[in-house]
Amino acid sequence: MRASFSAAAALLSLLQPLVASAADVLATTAVTLAVPAQPQLPNPAALPPSTHATLSTLYTTYSAPLSAANTFVFRNVTPGSYLADVHCATHAFAPLRVDVVASSTPDKLGMLSVQAWETYRGNDWDNKGEEAKEIALGGTAESSVATATAALPVRCMAPKQYFMERSSFSVMSILKNPMILLAMVSMGIFFLMPKMVENMDPEMRAEFEEQQKNNPMASLMGGGGQQAANPMGNFDMAAFLAGSSNKKDEGGSAAAAPADRRRK
Amino acid sequence: MHLPLSALSVLLALPAAVRAVFQDEVGHIDYHYELLGVPQRETTFFHRPRRQDKASLLYTLSDLGVLGAVNPSTSSVVWRQLLQGNITNGAGYLRAGEDATWVASAMGSSTQAWDAPTGRNLWSLDFDGRAKDLEIMELTESDHKDVLALYEEEGATVARRIHGTQGHVVWEFRAVNDDIPLQVSTNVEKVFVVSLHGSLLSYSLKVTVLDTLTGKRLDEINIGTKGEVQKPEDVMFVGANSAAPIVAWTDNALTKLKVNVLGNKNKQEFPLVADTRSIEIHAPHHIQSQPHFLVQSRTKTANRADVFHVDLKTNAVTKAYDFPLLDGESAFSTSTAGTNVYFTRVTPDEVIVTSSLSHGILGRWPLKGNDVKSGALHAVSEVIKKSESAYAVRSAVVTDTDDWAMIRNGEVAWTRPEGLSGAVAATWAEIPESEDLAKTLEAEAHSNPLEAYIHRVKRHVDDLQHLPSWLESIPVRLLSSILGSEGSAKDSTTLTKDNFGLNKLVVLATKRGKMYALDAGNQGRIVWSKSASETPSTLPWDVKSIHADDVKGLITVRGADGEYIIVKSDTGKTVDTMGPGFWPPVQSVAAVDSAAGPWLLPIGIDGKIAEVPLAYAPKQTVVVRAGNQLKGITFQPQGEQAVEVPAWVFSPSGKQKIVHVATRSVHDPIASVGRVLGDRSVLYKYLNPNTLVVAAIDEGSSTMTLYLLDSVSGEVLTSSVHRGVDPNKDISCAISENWFACSFFGQYAIRDSETQSVKGYQLAITDLYESDISNDRGPLGEALGDDANFSPVNPIDQPTGPVIPAAVSKTFMLSGPIRSLAVTQTRQGITSRQLLAFASDAHSITGIPRMVIDPRRVLGRDPTPAELEEGLSKYTPLVDLDPRFMITHERDVIGINEIITAPANLESTSLVFAYGLDIFGTRMTPSLPFDILGKGFNKVTLIGTVLALTAGVMALGPMVRRKQINMRWYSS
Repeated sequence: MRASFSAAAALLSLLQPLVASAADVLATTAVTLAVPAQPQLPNPAALPPSTHATLSTLYTTYSAPLSAANTFVFRNVTPGSYLADVHCATHAFAPLRVDVVASSTPDKLGMLSVQAWETYRGNDWDNKGEEAKEIALGGTAESSVATATAALPVRCMAPKQYFMERSSFSVMSILKNPMILLAMVSMGIFFLMPKMVENMDPEMRAEFEEQQKNNPMASLMGGGGQQAANPMGNFDMAAFLAGSSNKKDEGGSAAAAPADRRRK
Repeated sequence: MHLPLSALSVLLALPAAVRAVFQDEVGHIDYHYELLGVPQRETTFFHRPRRQDKASLLYTLSDLGVLGAVNPSTSSVVWRQLLQGNITNGAGYLRAGEDATWVASAMGSSTQAWDAPTGRNLWSLDFDGRAKDLEIMELTESDHKDVLALYEEEGATVARRIHGTQGHVVWEFRAVNDDIPLQVSTNVEKVFVVSLHGSLLSYSLKVTVLDTLTGKRLDEINIGTKGEVQKPEDVMFVGANSAAPIVAWTDNALTKLKVNVLGNKNKQEFPLVADTRSIEIHAPHHIQSQPHFLVQSRTKTANRADVFHVDLKTNAVTKAYDFPLLDGESAFSTSTAGTNVYFTRVTPDEVIVTSSLSHGILGRWPLKGNDVKSGALHAVSEVIKKSESAYAVRSAVVTDTDDWAMIRNGEVAWTRPEGLSGAVAATWAEIPESEDLAKTLEAEAHSNPLEAYIHRVKRHVDDLQHLPSWLESIPVRLLSSILGSEGSAKDSTTLTKDNFGLNKLVVLATKRGKMYALDAGNQGRIVWSKSASETPSTLPWDVKSIHADDVKGLITVRGADGEYIIVKSDTGKTVDTMGPGFWPPVQSVAAVDSAAGPWLLPIGIDGKIAEVPLAYAPKQTVVVRAGNQLKGITFQPQGEQAVEVPAWVFSPSGKQKIVHVATRSVHDPIASVGRVLGDRSVLYKYLNPNTLVVAAIDEGSSTMTLYLLDSVSGEVLTSSVHRGVDPNKDISCAISENWFACSFFGQYAIRDSETQSVKGYQLAITDLYESDISNDRGPLGEALGDDANFSPVNPIDQPTGPVIPAAVSKTFMLSGPIRSLAVTQTRQGITSRQLLAFASDAHSITGIPRMVIDPRRVLGRDPTPAELEEGLSKYTPLVDLDPRFMITHERDVIGINEIITAPANLESTSLVFAYGLDIFGTRMTPSLPFDILGKGFNKVTLIGTVLALTAGVMALGPMVRRKQINMRWYSS
């Protein structure tokens, strides 16, 4: 589980200037991350066993599997500034920046202290977020290396969504279609208009019909009354193609009735 | 909190570009073999994970280093852990205490305990040195069980007792000497550390007796072996954890078995059957079990077994009974129930259960089904006493075909194809046309037109006999296509080509020397499997090349020792094979064109190529890798032969080491030579088929340089330097069309502002164009003006020298490591591409759309409308490996080493296959399935809508007609 630790320890000596205090490069400590119950993740015990966490920095990677106590225990961690990631199949977690530094206070010389902050990927490494304060774990005094008493909490961001929703068939989706809406409105006019016109008092009706005569939209109103049922009915393709737009010589019987009406 | 906001905006912008997997496509377009690796003999057992629960799980630590639990009734994986984070080669230890709720494993430097039902880690400890053995102390002074771990350090043997539930070291015993630690064992009172003492070829056995409470040395016993133990493997067995642990070895001629009960000096000898090739010892692992053990002797053709009893008082070993000599392989296994010990023998024909007390057969079941006819190598069994005389047995058998089969009372309940794990090479192969048709067509092509015509008419008349059955099948097909159940209606056992080109074969070779063919169009069904055992010399099999010849339907696999095997792709029949050693060792193999046609040129160690006959001289420049150099080699005729002439040598500058070389795939069609910008001008792509990407790293200064090489001239076309790159983490590159990408872990200060630094996994991607300016072809354009023949070896006569592409690069931050980069392939290359990679920590394969990692994404400002039209968005450093990018969706895919892609006949679709530890395959449509109706196309709805409209028209028609008539007549 310490993929490259031994190699890393050797290489780390190359990095001495980078290590905050190179008092004792081989001094190591244990870092514990914990997954507390939180609104996005009420039951951390349900996380799959493939969940694991990594601490990575140049030359070094530590990996720790999820323990039965919902923690990740990294052992023998050398000083450095690490990117901590929790890899889980079901939930996404916020990355942390974990700094393991040697204490500068004389009484604790050589002791390593661990600090963690939220970090933002793709941003400056020193752009730290809120500090992740250690939380106490349920472990008691008799707990040992396996169960540390305090751990750095990791924040669950959201459950992972792997799938796309397939748009399912529903009557509403069809009814919402603008074409269908148009058709329905025109159908409504088709049926309702004549009834409304019938119900009007005679004067209003006469006025309305007068308006209709002048209204160019009348032809579109299908059932509006006076026009031929099909406005395209007397469309002369040959004439149209020939470029003559005047349809003075209406001959077809279909147009006869309205034509008579107009002359009246 | 300013960043999460910007990250959110990226996430919101992405789904438009992403086509995730639909839930109903799972298992239809993709397939996944969730594998463990072949279980090892010593680290496989049945174990009850919960004390109160009768059900047991099957635990194993496989030869690839995967620890897993399998449900014995369904064969599904309950949990699994890849112990070292990567595929390992054998070894490892796994033990479980009776009734313990955990299992303990040791591998490499770590010892770990795992919660048996859930697979969660209980504790992990890392020590110096290497784990050599692991045992459970069943009886301790408190109510828990402890773990004994034996480690080998440089010049020291270290035994530790570790607290079973808390994982701290109770005591440590360290012996500083040059002994080779073998095993640790315990009976109730003492702990025994068995090691080899002395020098090579003449070891004696040293048993160190330790106190269980303190780990202090109580006694040391030396057992002379008279030079019979020459290496650690010569000690056959060190009895573990029974009341009377034993150590056993044989003389060099395998005629006598010598047994010593640990804790005293006596050894006893027993004769072995003549011609014994190997022996195996099986003993129960529980302290309350009777101290009986079984010795299986294998001769060349047969095997037998003897059962021995150990007298606890006198430590005398006596033979109780034997199993008769039977032909073929059989696997013995031990199982315990309380103090009773049962031995199960699985032979090719039957399963026999006996008690360890007497030779009376308790149960005998003939083997049904031919699946496990092949030899059983080893097995684990669980015997259940149903009544006084009725027993039931289930055995998990590892066969020599690398399958893991469960035999329940003589019937094969399931088979797990664990041999598919550990694949080292794979290739796509077309399903060969039926030979008859191909032959007929060829015959027709070569005969005179009239004859051919008559022949053809005859053939078509003959074909008419299939007409009735075809007509019969129409209603069924129609119905199934409407209801969308075409998958189930298809006969899945035959290998047929389909019009869409989705049915393809994948042939893979595993490190264990096996070959498999999977039907990619049929959920990865295993078409054939075979052992190439005559070919591989050493295990693991080091396969250097696998090549499919689709015209002839042949697959060629070449190994490192010069061995090769040629098989038929559809049946797996061996066409030709050559053992190792006859041909010189091979470093790699190049597919080349020659006057005599295309062939596979083997390249020797350090890039040496033997002389080839003139007719076979490659026409291309062959690029070989010699140490830390790349060499371009051309061939020149010299008499009958063609000899290699180095054309160029590329060695990275300074202390750089080449870590990765990415080459273009053979099939890399380019649909458009330019990229149309928002203002309708064209940026011409730099399209040079002879390019390769070299990643070289200087470990001292941890700087990585990416070189783009012209493989004909050896010229460096472009290079870029990345500082702070970790050489210990995966570095992987891919090249396609006019771009290449490389992933790595980087930690460095940003150049623009030295106070800012970044740390994390990154992806650098570079686009190559002929010129920075649109509608300009750079120096190439002028060259094309007067002379259409452009050659990289004869650069254009210009002061600037050869054509240097204009490179546009961007580096993106990834939310996790990726490796094994690959690019989707489609038939014409019109479909946009996706970068495929194995996200090793997410246990997924991700497909990142090219659009997301476009190097031309706008930096530091919002894109203009023209740029938006081109599909460019504002550059954000973070590319989140969105779960919707994951083509493996919820599946847990581990240990992928390589991803291969192939085009289907459908332009929209690319076939993907990933191998390594697991096997995963799927189809991808990076630009949505524009040329095929997917499951989202609801035929029922369509037909329903048409019917509804028809009904509407029928109903409304008369009404409208009546109304029109009424209108005319009543209107005035």
